[in-house]
Amino acid sequence: MTKELTYLNYLKQERLPHQWCPGCGNGIILKLSCLAMEKLNFPKKGTVMVSGIGCSGRSAGFFDLDSVHTAHGRALPVAEGIKLANEELNVMIISGDGDLFGIGGNHLLHASRRNTDITVICISNAIYGMTGGQCSPTTEISSKTLTTPRGNADTPVNVQAIVTAHNCFYARSTTFHFNHAMKCIFEALQHKGFSFVEIKSQCITNDGRRRGFKNSYEMLMSYKDNYKINNSSNKLEHNEIGIIK
Amino acid sequence: MTKRLLQGNQAIALAAVKAGLNFFAGYPITPASEILHELVTKKTVKVLQMEDEIASVNTIIGASLAGAKSMTATSGPGFSLMQESIGHAHMMEIPLVIVNVQRVGPSTGMPTFPAQGDIMQCKYGSHGDYFPIVFYPNSVAELYEFTFNAFNAAEESLSPVILLSDSYVGHLYETIEEADYPISKRTLAPLGTSNRHFTGLTHEDSMPVTSDPEVHKKLIKHLETKQKKVSRKYNDYEYIENKSSDILLITYGALSRAVYGLKEDFAIYRPVRIFPIVDKLKDIAKKHKEIIVMEMNTGQYANEVERLLHREVKHVSIMGGKIDLNEIWTKLRRIKKKI
Repeated sequence: MTKELTYLNYLKQERLPHQWCPGCGNGIILKLSCLAMEKLNFPKKGTVMVSGIGCSGRSAGFFDLDSVHTAHGRALPVAEGIKLANEELNVMIISGDGDLFGIGGNHLLHASRRNTDITVICISNAIYGMTGGQCSPTTEISSKTLTTPRGNADTPVNVQAIVTAHNCFYARSTTFHFNHAMKCIFEALQHKGFSFVEIKSQCITNDGRRRGFKNSYEMLMSYKDNYKINNSSNKLEHNEIGIIK
Repeated sequence: MTKRLLQGNQAIALAAVKAGLNFFAGYPITPASEILHELVTKKTVKVLQMEDEIASVNTIIGASLAGAKSMTATSGPGFSLMQESIGHAHMMEIPLVIVNVQRVGPSTGMPTFPAQGDIMQCKYGSHGDYFPIVFYPNSVAELYEFTFNAFNAAEESLSPVILLSDSYVGHLYETIEEADYPISKRTLAPLGTSNRHFTGLTHEDSMPVTSDPEVHKKLIKHLETKQKKVSRKYNDYEYIENKSSDILLITYGALSRAVYGLKEDFAIYRPVRIFPIVDKLKDIAKKHKEIIVMEMNTGQYANEVERLLHREVKHVSIMGGKIDLNEIWTKLRRIKKKI
């Protein structure tokens, strides 16, 4: 096995290939998480992966770690319970935007306030993909989804403001910016306290195709065109990616 | 053994600490808050005041998975919020203790008055089929003892066990003996020691299997068998015989304390493990011509008793949180005329 492929150590290889659609961003984020853990030499025993419900909720089961697939929206309190009962564990969450900001939004407000030492990786695809493509809390204004056929009228949730309001670690990246996204997760895992990484990710099956994208590649290219890396400011603009500690 | 004057809620907290409680998460609610108040003073317990009851129950699910003996305490409204996660804990087989100090409902109801309206919610509150063990003591001493039983049953069955109380028993002060009871050890290895996957999806060997009916049937059968087996260790009930009466009164919790006053005129049966229903009731019921279930709801346990016995069961409901022997007598006389 070549050096670059060792991230597979963190996955249950007998469960691969995963069941996500071709072109989905979840696989990229699975790999990113493994690479970041590997870089930090996280022991497999002593690390716990938690997820919520949705396409992204299935992530936890692929890791060769003890993992918990919680009820919808409840990844945060479960992870907090795990961490506070055994502070030696590395506790990570991979979950979606609907799970973390919608049904579980209240927990995000309070988990960041309590500053529990856990790392949240949010696969933010701006859609409820598993249930067919309904509008999510991060869907952009005027974006068309199954439940907003005339375009979304509501402002997307400002995650940066919520997390940084409690002086917690916040990073934003996209599935196109692979190395940048890995750096975000890598730094988040080293951060003592609550850390939140929001990775914009593509759902071609239930989102992109309704918005005129021909394939997943076009969606990735739109991330390339729309997002600029910001290394200096302590506040990210709408179209910027970066890390705020 | 030391004698102490304790409040019902306080007795639960003290017994929980003795039973090995490491982790408590809760949200303030009348009439259960005293449990939280008592536990924050204990150095051996990590206590969290969460943002709501959903967070409370999920936090103790996480803590229990990580190896801590965990508990939460609430009343009807909070218990309703917890229901989805209670089913989740049954599915993942997580040992928990959930205390529900009942108050008058539905909705906000009468927060400081006792009721027994959560009987069905204990058994059928979450979606899908699960088989909870539920204890409902009626005195401070019994609350103390059954807190140990609840923790032990949770560890043995790997499931959330419900300890029911009500605002009457919960706020009652009585002198009790602080005894020590045997404690069951944790059998579930804590998180961070293996590569297991805990999921609420139908699963086999800790992997999700969501399209095979046989796997699901096997899983539910396993849950049912396990709960029945463990509950047999806790066949707790009280039966006061009365040879001069062919009427059996079935009552429990706060109300049973008033009904004790009728033991000269009726036989009395009081379940303590209210679910799964103690099978012994079938034999006891055979000795009596009439069965009257008395409870502080509109007949929740009466229906369950009828279902168990396959015979007609009469019902007296005491509503609104006031326990009045005159009202009980009037209602019984009305039924007796028909008998």
